[in-house]
Amino acid sequence: MSQKVTRRQFLNYSLMGVGSFMAAGIILPMGRFALDPLFQAEAEGSMITTSVRAEEITEEPVKVDFSFEQQDAWYTSEVTDFAWVYRDGEEIIALSPVCKHLGCTVTWAGDDANPNRFFCPCHNGLYEKSGQNVPGTPPRGPLDQFEVGVSDGYITIGERFANEIV
Amino acid sequence: MLYNHQDLKVLKDEIEFVDTALIPFASADMNGSARDNASDMEMIQMVTIQLEKQFKGRLFITPAMMTVEGMTEVLETYIEQLEAYGFKKVIILTHLDKSFDSAHSIVVNRIPLEDMDAEMKMSLINDEVKNVMKQVITIWNHRN
Repeated sequence: MSQKVTRRQFLNYSLMGVGSFMAAGIILPMGRFALDPLFQAEAEGSMITTSVRAEEITEEPVKVDFSFEQQDAWYTSEVTDFAWVYRDGEEIIALSPVCKHLGCTVTWAGDDANPNRFFCPCHNGLYEKSGQNVPGTPPRGPLDQFEVGVSDGYITIGERFANEIV
Repeated sequence: MLYNHQDLKVLKDEIEFVDTALIPFASADMNGSARDNASDMEMIQMVTIQLEKQFKGRLFITPAMMTVEGMTEVLETYIEQLEAYGFKKVIILTHLDKSFDSAHSIVVNRIPLEDMDAEMKMSLINDEVKNVMKQVITIWNHRN
């Protein structure tokens, strides 16, 4: 049995159908744009993988290089920095080599008289292995630490933060 | 420290610690040796950048001074200015064979960098940087 569709009903249905497609065409993209930030993947944690294996790290601090992209206004360049990395029990510690006095680069055991300390050649600043500044030398605070991790056996270096082990 | 607004602001208060000024010095002659001059300049720049990283807190790197036909009047005036500002030592980093009464010169080796791959270049530059660092430390230690 065929149901009779009046001309009025047919026009209503087709107008509603086309209208809802048009509305959806506008509203769906708007909704997706509005929600987009929620779907954005967390920026791949800013840990930088180095070429040094975690098992090579001993209690003696070693230089671990890492490179990252740095943007200065319009100019992006690849910068290589390094951290002093050593093992303290089970934990791996990474210290920033930037002297807290005026920003020179400190070396491990750079001064023959202090074989177990970090030494800053600029003004003879000294730091203990933990990064603690030795009183009586120019630095005003302990060396910064880097977030450090291990990924596939390689050391990864992350954000710099104020020293927490001293 | 570099010759920029931010560092100069710090420099004013810390002049007693930042006691050494280093002037990169090269020739800009536009003659037969222009290409060599350009390589020299490039190398001096690379060495200076590394040096600044290592000795940021005691070394003030001035803008590079250029010479044409070996003229040094500007450089000499600049050395006087730096001394008047409060620097106890002035070092000139150069390839050129020139000596000055009131400044120490560190002469950098000429390395034919243009034919090398990047890694080799870096390692040679790093050796040169170490060499220059040693000389700077010697200047700091010996002649107070």
